[in-house]
Amino acid sequence: MSYRAVARKDFQDAVRSRWIWVLSALFIVAFAGPALLRFTLGIGLGDTNEATGITVLFIQIMKEGTAILVPIIAIVVGYASITRERESGTLKLLLSLPHSRGDVVLGKVLGRSAVVALPIAIGFLVAGLVLIPAASLEAVSRFVAFALLTVVLGVVFVGLAVGISAASETDRQAMVGSVGLFLLTSLFWGTASSRIASALNEYAGVSVQQQYLVELGLKVVNPVAAYKTLIDSLYMTQFDARVGLFQFFLIPNQDAIAALGNELPVVFTDPVIAALLVLWFVVPVYVGMTVFERVDL
Amino acid sequence: MTAIELSGVTKRFGELTAVNDLDLTVEEGDVFGFLGPNGAGKSTTINVLLDFVRPTSGTVRVLGHDAQADSVAVREQTGVLPEGFDVYDRLTGKQHVTFAIESKGAYEDPDAILERVGLAGDGDRKAGGYSKGMRQRLALGMALVGDPDLLILDEPSSGLDPAGAKEMREIVREEAEDGTTVFFSSHVLGQVEAVCDRVGILRDGRLVAEDSIDGLREAVGSDETLIVTVDAATEDDLEAVRAIDGVASAETDGGTVRVSCDSGVKTDVIGALEEAGVTVQDFTTQEASLEDLFIAYTEGEVAE
Repeated sequence: MSYRAVARKDFQDAVRSRWIWVLSALFIVAFAGPALLRFTLGIGLGDTNEATGITVLFIQIMKEGTAILVPIIAIVVGYASITRERESGTLKLLLSLPHSRGDVVLGKVLGRSAVVALPIAIGFLVAGLVLIPAASLEAVSRFVAFALLTVVLGVVFVGLAVGISAASETDRQAMVGSVGLFLLTSLFWGTASSRIASALNEYAGVSVQQQYLVELGLKVVNPVAAYKTLIDSLYMTQFDARVGLFQFFLIPNQDAIAALGNELPVVFTDPVIAALLVLWFVVPVYVGMTVFERVDL
Repeated sequence: MTAIELSGVTKRFGELTAVNDLDLTVEEGDVFGFLGPNGAGKSTTINVLLDFVRPTSGTVRVLGHDAQADSVAVREQTGVLPEGFDVYDRLTGKQHVTFAIESKGAYEDPDAILERVGLAGDGDRKAGGYSKGMRQRLALGMALVGDPDLLILDEPSSGLDPAGAKEMREIVREEAEDGTTVFFSSHVLGQVEAVCDRVGILRDGRLVAEDSIDGLREAVGSDETLIVTVDAATEDDLEAVRAIDGVASAETDGGTVRVSCDSGVKTDVIGALEEAGVTVQDFTTQEASLEDLFIAYTEGEVAE
């Protein structure tokens, strides 16, 4: 397996393009900037409790931003990864060397993941230096988990974008596919889930309880929603985190709470949702590889 | 052992048949020139060898491996200079060669490779700033990494100046002396004639001739072209020349007469022209170039 050589070359290429430094600067501003408000507003400087509270608040606010920003950047970094090489002819140079097409796709996924993960890590590190002083160990571990989950979200979307790129013939096709995917996951998925579930209730005689279970099921399949609700689990119960998916401007949806009952069904627990998120990486990469292995170049 | 073996290979792109039932064998150690006009199917054939495209039917074996199922094994032992490639603009020449070394699991000095292909001193520059010829040299350098058993060069001299093309030929010769099999395509015939010991001519996706260069000359039936400078000659005057046994063809533009013939009948040709009332001012002979053969084969003048 020679994907490591491909990944190293790809990463080298990105470092030379200065993309990675621009992204790092962007993430430092985006993550550490709000954290700095802590000092200007003078909150949470007094004691450990306050410092911990401010960390949770930071995570709650920041996750809304990362859930949009990270997928966009991962898509920009990944969508043309294979098609651009195909269109320019560098792919011929690459495949003249003893790399299988699968290795090329894996190497790209790895290289571009590093291009996205490294700036996220740098951004979080700087934000951490601002936030963590005086915070409790619990707050620190929550913050680290938030950073790791955000890296996972970035890598998932890199996998999706590279997978789409591998299955596309042109940059344009790959871009349409990736942008479509972004709009679907970030804008339409939640609404579509509610519509489908209520239509089932209205026309197919599904009970209200089942309607909410279906809706939750549809919602958590969305990788962006999965990311958000897993982050909520860092500072609330899994049950509350899932109910949070139904909230409307911070007002909990009482029908949803009632429908989910006293105990959260196993399929909606954190490990299952984390597994779903991982599938969003594995399946597109696998499909992209399979298509790419079969085409004439 | 056989280095390249294609049997019954057909490749269709939709309606277009790029390669049609091609059988081709290249023995180990051969320097094989793969000739044909643009669009004859040369690049498609090479792309099939490298598994860039999959044949519609037929089998392809390279260095004993199935070219489809074992493509990586093929490319581990093969150096490739592809056609229509590009370099990574942001990486330096040296990074390119280093990447090739890493990819092939070889242990070589990238600077030595760069020097060999005439890029010494340019290794630390970004390849995006290289000229077409330098890109071609860089790709050749990457192909030479790991001492390949087979070199596949698709139009290797495109973009090179005459000096560069000569260096390219020298490198090919050096590799061939080491026992490397060389397979290269070209429409620049002088290149092929200078280095190849065997030639295949492809036309409309079919192999129309495959032989040694000497054998090809023989197949065309004439090994010399007689060029006669005359005062004035007409088609009618040539009838007598064409009638001579040993003359393959004769043509004129009025001022010169070109005759393909056996070397033994030259005086007969001159005699026949003078007899027809043509004043012969001068004549020279020319050994048949591959170009003559090439034209003869690809225009269909020589029957299979």
